[in-house]
Amino acid sequence: MRSIQVCGAGRAGDGTNTNISMLGQVLKDLGAWAFVWREEVYSNIQTRDTAFGLRAADVPVYGPDDEFDILEAFDQGAFVDWTGEGRVPPLARLRKGGIVLYDSSPRLEYPNAGHEVRPEQVEAELKAREARLFGLPMGRMAKEQFGNYIVRGTIALGVLAHMLGLPEEAFARRFVRIFGEGSDLFRLNLEAFRAGLEYARAEGWELPDLRLPLTPREDDERQLLLGNEAVALGSIVAGCRFYAGYPITPASEVLEYMAEKLPSVGGVVVQADSEMAAAHHVIGGSVAGARAMTATSGPGFSLMQEAISAAGMTETPVVIVVSQRGGPATGLPTKVGQEDLNETVFGGHGDFARIVLAPTEPEDAFYMMEKAFNLADRYQCPVFVIYDQMFAQSTYTTPPLNPSRFTIDRGKVVAAPANGHNGRYRRYALTEDGISPRAFPGMPGIHTIYVNTNEHTEEGYITEEMVVRKAMVEKRVVKRMQLIVRDRDLPSPVVHGPADAPIGFIGYGSVYGPVLEAVQRLAEKGQKAKFMALRTIWPFPGREVRRFVDSCRVVYVVEYSATAQLKGLVQREATGPMPRKLRSVLRYDGRPMTPGYVLQSL
Amino acid sequence: MAVYTPEKPLTAAEITGPGAWWCSGCGDFGVTAAFKDVLVTLVNELGVPLERVFVMSGIGCSSKEPEMLRLNAYHGQHGRSIPVAMGVALANPNLVVVDFGGDGDSYAIGMEHFVHACIKNVNMTLIVMNNQVYGLTRGQASPTGHLGLKTSSTPEGKKVRPVNPLKLAIAAGAAFVGRGVSWKKKELAELMLRAIQTKGFSLLDVFSPCVTYHREPGYRGSGAIVDWYRLNYVLDIQEAWREMRDQVFSEEERAHLPSDYDPTSPDAALYALRLIEEAAKMGREVTGLLLVNESAPTLEEALGVSPERAPALADISVEGNLERYRKLLAELR
Repeated sequence: MRSIQVCGAGRAGDGTNTNISMLGQVLKDLGAWAFVWREEVYSNIQTRDTAFGLRAADVPVYGPDDEFDILEAFDQGAFVDWTGEGRVPPLARLRKGGIVLYDSSPRLEYPNAGHEVRPEQVEAELKAREARLFGLPMGRMAKEQFGNYIVRGTIALGVLAHMLGLPEEAFARRFVRIFGEGSDLFRLNLEAFRAGLEYARAEGWELPDLRLPLTPREDDERQLLLGNEAVALGSIVAGCRFYAGYPITPASEVLEYMAEKLPSVGGVVVQADSEMAAAHHVIGGSVAGARAMTATSGPGFSLMQEAISAAGMTETPVVIVVSQRGGPATGLPTKVGQEDLNETVFGGHGDFARIVLAPTEPEDAFYMMEKAFNLADRYQCPVFVIYDQMFAQSTYTTPPLNPSRFTIDRGKVVAAPANGHNGRYRRYALTEDGISPRAFPGMPGIHTIYVNTNEHTEEGYITEEMVVRKAMVEKRVVKRMQLIVRDRDLPSPVVHGPADAPIGFIGYGSVYGPVLEAVQRLAEKGQKAKFMALRTIWPFPGREVRRFVDSCRVVYVVEYSATAQLKGLVQREATGPMPRKLRSVLRYDGRPMTPGYVLQSL
Repeated sequence: MAVYTPEKPLTAAEITGPGAWWCSGCGDFGVTAAFKDVLVTLVNELGVPLERVFVMSGIGCSSKEPEMLRLNAYHGQHGRSIPVAMGVALANPNLVVVDFGGDGDSYAIGMEHFVHACIKNVNMTLIVMNNQVYGLTRGQASPTGHLGLKTSSTPEGKKVRPVNPLKLAIAAGAAFVGRGVSWKKKELAELMLRAIQTKGFSLLDVFSPCVTYHREPGYRGSGAIVDWYRLNYVLDIQEAWREMRDQVFSEEERAHLPSDYDPTSPDAALYALRLIEEAAKMGREVTGLLLVNESAPTLEEALGVSPERAPALADISVEGNLERYRKLLAELR
């Protein structure tokens, strides 16, 4: 694998996201597999330190590497922990001999005035890293030549284009898509880009050692999308036509994508007054017959627990996306965590059937949404799709996604009676497999669909009779989970690495990329290791996990949780305590896992 | 497909459920009787297919309503029937959604949803069986309980002022705001029908006395609490209009006022608020039809759904949408 890793570091409002994303788009257009992530983003719109990362490789990549080849410093925060709160600035991850491209002009505008980039402050560190320094007065150029400070980022792109030998046309094509052909913004950015390019050419700045061998693909149909967008898109293709949500990081992109696109396929999006309302809207939408979903994160997910219990009791199919962030409470709104696994698997009061799916990367997520909606309808229960901020808000390059691979299975639904009214429909009819055919309000002749959160009879009326109660619990939970466990649509774990490897890793969500690479690096050093990425968390794939653990000498469960929630599930559902064999690689500082982080924790 | 015809009309018996939940003399029986009359009218006279009626409820004595009926329904959790009802209404605007709440249900634990349903103007009807107490948990004071009301949770009399749901609904922009009383079935049924027929969010608060836990000094025995309401508590809006105009309106205003209170007047919201305030000074609560205003867009209209464009009935086949899906994919390259 050959890859290049760039960090754009500034302060919120500096446009580092745009700068890094555009570079990623261009590299993807030129044939690379680009991955863009939020290295450092505060829950803040302007003024706090911000860093975005880009990795581009000649093979698919699913996560960041440890070191940056290039650091674009738009602010002194790229070099130093100016607030003194213990922050590790991006410079600490610059590789030996790495490039620093910095703004050598004064900071010119609020909110960032006074944060001039001063490499002399970190001279010793730059020297120790043998950093190659390139300073150009981006701010002054932006202000004086273009009257627009924000184009600093575009000037920097021009410089990088020249250094890395990336063609201007590739940038111009993206500018057209982003700003509109012939628009003022298009011209502004193209000129700013050229200014940077000319500057670098005049200075003779070349970096032949950092050029990736790129070949643009013909008819490149690969996608470039956020994890959240892959989930939203997959849901639309899976037939979701009802979305209710409340803005929350890192799940808002699902709401935003749905708000923009769902009406175009006959769906509806409602921004609810809380997550409590959102989850109940979704139940209503589903009872009415629409495929319905919501997406949220920690605090919102807690508010949804009551509705989740209601969906379980009423046997209403709902899909709930849990995009985890660092907790508890408000926690780290914009940073990664996997602390809500227990709440997803065990949350909601009472016993009821549920399914928890966990995509490894966006291509997996896109197709997994078909399973999520089909399973929800088939088993008339809540289905959770759980992942984390790194998956949700990172941009991945995926192979072309194919909607034709989807099939829609709505599960058991009654046919409307041919002669109209019969008054005999029973929502909770006891059947052999415990699944009662659904009917939707408005179906001609059916007016007895009674959905009830109280314990109920077959007709849906309240009962507390012990015989009926017992039968209903068995139908709703016991038989249902027995059926679900056997369903071949449950995504099975994927295992990477040789079967006889003595070292094993287990993980879910965005640890996928870093662990995969950790395994490859161990192999390069002659150490055999393998990795089981879980894709269904509930029902827990106990047998597969047990077999995997048995085949290893030592197994590391890798997760973003101080209390090792996933390891706890492995022990509870598959292995028992196994204190010597089962170990943890944990990260709970809110920062993304890297291959090096995994390896150094062993 | 008309299932019920003049030869074979829908009867109240067909939509009567097996429920037996309320104390003898409970006001909720009156609400149920009125609602059945309305259903029969809707189906037999107004051509609404019975299968398109969807009834909701939350938790409390009021929420046993669907148990008393035989209809498509969702019996939800405490305070949460409104957001579920909103989901049903949005997913399929062909449905007639009627939500039965209680004063604790809608005005305490479900207050968030109640106010936002008014603001969003979702096309549904909320009928609140308001009795000032939490009957099902044995009579604690509810948010509508009046000052001084003695209950098991307010042994010295209620010291926290009550909520006024009518004022809230008016201020939040509900399309229909009215209040009925459970002991006048015909008037109540008229209000219900009008509420259901109003485009947008309808709040029909109904005084539905609790004969078991609502106690007032000097009113003992069966039916006495109804007398307390009648004699001490309610004031019809038309009566208030006639009798309070001198206190409420200036001479200049009075010169332009019609003789009857007009709930469809553009000024109805302000007039109603002033009458409610004036009545409150005498310890009275206004009843009747306060406001009908269909001028604001409904949530359905705002979000582009309609009976013809119901998300629950949308084509979700992959074949039928393939071109659109391919376009969405192409945008994300």
